[in-house]
Amino acid sequence: MKITVQKEELQKKLSDIQNIVEKKNTMPILSHFLLVAEQSGSFITATDLETAFKEPIALEISEEGRIAIPARKLLEIAKEMDSSITIESADNQWVKVKSGKSQFRLACLAHEEFPVWPALSDAEKADAMTIEAPAFLEMIDKTVYAAGEADTRYVLNGLLFHIKSSGELTVVGTDGHRLALCQRSLGLSTKEDKKVILSRKSVLELKKFLDSGEHAVKLTVGKNHALFEIDSIQFLTRLIEGTYPNYEQVLPADNDKDVLINRSVLIKALRRVSVISRERSNAIKVELDKDIMVISASNPDMGEAKDELTVEYAGGQMAVAFNARYMLDAFSAMNSEKVVIRLKEALSPALLLEEGKTDYRCVVMPMRL
Amino acid sequence: MTSRIILCADMDAFFASVEQQANPKLRGKPIAVIGSAARTVVVTRSYEARAFGVKTGMNIYEAKNACPHIIFVPGDNEKYTYTCGELEKIYRKYTPDIEVYSIDEAFLDITETHHLFGGPVELAEQIKQEIKERFNINCTIGIGPNILISKLVSDISKPDGLRWVKDDEVSLLLEELPVKELWGIGPKTTEKLMAMGINTCGALGRAPVSLLRSRFGIMGEHLKAMGQGRCERVISVNEADPKTIGHSMTLPKDISSIRQIEAYMLQLSDMVGSRARKHGFAGSTVRLTIRYPDFETFTKQTHLPEHTNHTQEIYRAGVQILDSIKLKDKVRLLGISLSSIERVTGQMPLFKEKAKQKALLGAVDAINDKYGEFKITWASYSAMVERPKVIAPAWRPSGVRNIKIKK
Repeated sequence: MKITVQKEELQKKLSDIQNIVEKKNTMPILSHFLLVAEQSGSFITATDLETAFKEPIALEISEEGRIAIPARKLLEIAKEMDSSITIESADNQWVKVKSGKSQFRLACLAHEEFPVWPALSDAEKADAMTIEAPAFLEMIDKTVYAAGEADTRYVLNGLLFHIKSSGELTVVGTDGHRLALCQRSLGLSTKEDKKVILSRKSVLELKKFLDSGEHAVKLTVGKNHALFEIDSIQFLTRLIEGTYPNYEQVLPADNDKDVLINRSVLIKALRRVSVISRERSNAIKVELDKDIMVISASNPDMGEAKDELTVEYAGGQMAVAFNARYMLDAFSAMNSEKVVIRLKEALSPALLLEEGKTDYRCVVMPMRL
Repeated sequence: MTSRIILCADMDAFFASVEQQANPKLRGKPIAVIGSAARTVVVTRSYEARAFGVKTGMNIYEAKNACPHIIFVPGDNEKYTYTCGELEKIYRKYTPDIEVYSIDEAFLDITETHHLFGGPVELAEQIKQEIKERFNINCTIGIGPNILISKLVSDISKPDGLRWVKDDEVSLLLEELPVKELWGIGPKTTEKLMAMGINTCGALGRAPVSLLRSRFGIMGEHLKAMGQGRCERVISVNEADPKTIGHSMTLPKDISSIRQIEAYMLQLSDMVGSRARKHGFAGSTVRLTIRYPDFETFTKQTHLPEHTNHTQEIYRAGVQILDSIKLKDKVRLLGISLSSIERVTGQMPLFKEKAKQKALLGAVDAINDKYGEFKITWASYSAMVERPKVIAPAWRPSGVRNIKIKK
């Protein structure tokens, strides 16, 4: 193989895959990317066995070939080079990387060692659907923070994507203490309902490529994988196996005490009180009375904080404790000017909503104080 | 801070006295409390035995040599911890500010309460009398302006003593007192001080700070203060949050069967978990300790994503460690500990299944609390119920360091 590539092109494409290539040295091949240089099409591929990523790369091909190159090292080299870079391999063990009078020799691995790209069946491909990227991105932003990070209940470390044949998409994230659910009618064309769980990590990675703007995303859900196609990028991720908890069951249906409050005023107050609460459990106490809400925190080793807010509330006296971070996460993800905290009693779940809307719902379990 | 009045109550020959109380036939006789193992030494001895020169740390033959008619009594931790707990109840009648420092010593801050009992000495006499009547144990009480002096006074007033050294009498007491008598000055420090020509507390108190600093570093200032009878440490009424919660046991015999090892680990995990739950703590680091017959000790730890005090989660983490290593020999001792401790937050779970688990553990704890430890236990463990007989030095009558000792 012998190719020439512009420094910027190589650097950009290698940057795209850095989060996917393996940093730990458990399987050496995973710290490599596959470079395929062929007249019919040139592209790079990287995988961590959970997520696989494929993107075209612009090359001048002098001699076709395929080889697995250490991704991190080649990026570091590309960054230090000035102009176009030539990559040449004589065998499966070494490549020469040249630019101007600079020259590197890098140890490589044979392309046969690189994991095979999991193929989707034709039937699976036939049921692909198109999603508006901005809407999809917003739904991820509104739910991904609530997903678990390293829970032993593995499914909680992912987001649930529930696609209904009615064209509606529901995205759910929960860590077992709070839950965020975003529901949109996106006119998706699918033959049957689909429920898939994608890992938080892969969704965060996917988000990077959705950020690019107005493009549509093509989603194909297979038996074991989901494939996202954004422009010419292919982003494939393994579905998390297992049953996602019944989220509909934990959505409180009979909460009837509404607190209506200005979102940014509430966020500021929560931040202030968190100064004291965050040292420990992050517990804050919310006390309600006619049109008044008092948020307070106390830490025996440090002191107390208290903030009084004017709200719209007529549900009678009540006190309930929450983790301030859960509240902040949820209200920060909302967009409306005013928000609603819908309560029932001190130890039952609270429902957080944007004013006048129910497509975005957050459930937060209280704390016992 | 205004001058305090601190009382140090120290039981005389505590273990031996408890045994003599429990068995009238032993009273007035030279006895020595020994460990239960085959190769054991004298842990403590009655004053009758001390008269013959029987010392702590002697082996059985040496003790017999010194006192041919000595009676050996194997130690019974349960009796001692029970008595210690009962002693604390007595102290509580006189002041709420108590630090049970060890199994047979306690500090009482009686500054605010002594007038109710006629004064410090009168209060101390009442405590001594109550302990004598209830347990037939003699104790020595030292009273001073801080814990250093009260401990010193009780040490030099043994046995069955009672002395109050007031603030203005401290310097006189310390003037000619050898430095080694001070609590916290061991043989090494004594040796170094003597090499500097400092033999008495009086001299230590007058020694230039710069000299002490150059020899002992930051401890130098502390030593000078001690020589003057000053002590900054106040009695700690509230136990600080623990850094680790752990249990270990020397197995009744060395084992190599993984199933057996896992059974003991489950038991240890349950002991750790239930103690953490009882006191409202959870940890995110689980450490497994394995000691081989040659006493080589191996430890490895793992970090959990979330704080836990669930028996099963601690156990699973322990087994994961066990699975990741190759045992080099049979196992003599096993230990499980939980660290990176935090107070449980009271965050309620969203899903029923988690709430159920919590409720199950709560029910098991409640039953065991009411009917005794291990009344409900894991089936895989119930086949092997030989309990450890070790009392930890950090044992406390209450709080999270309290460990129930079973026979």
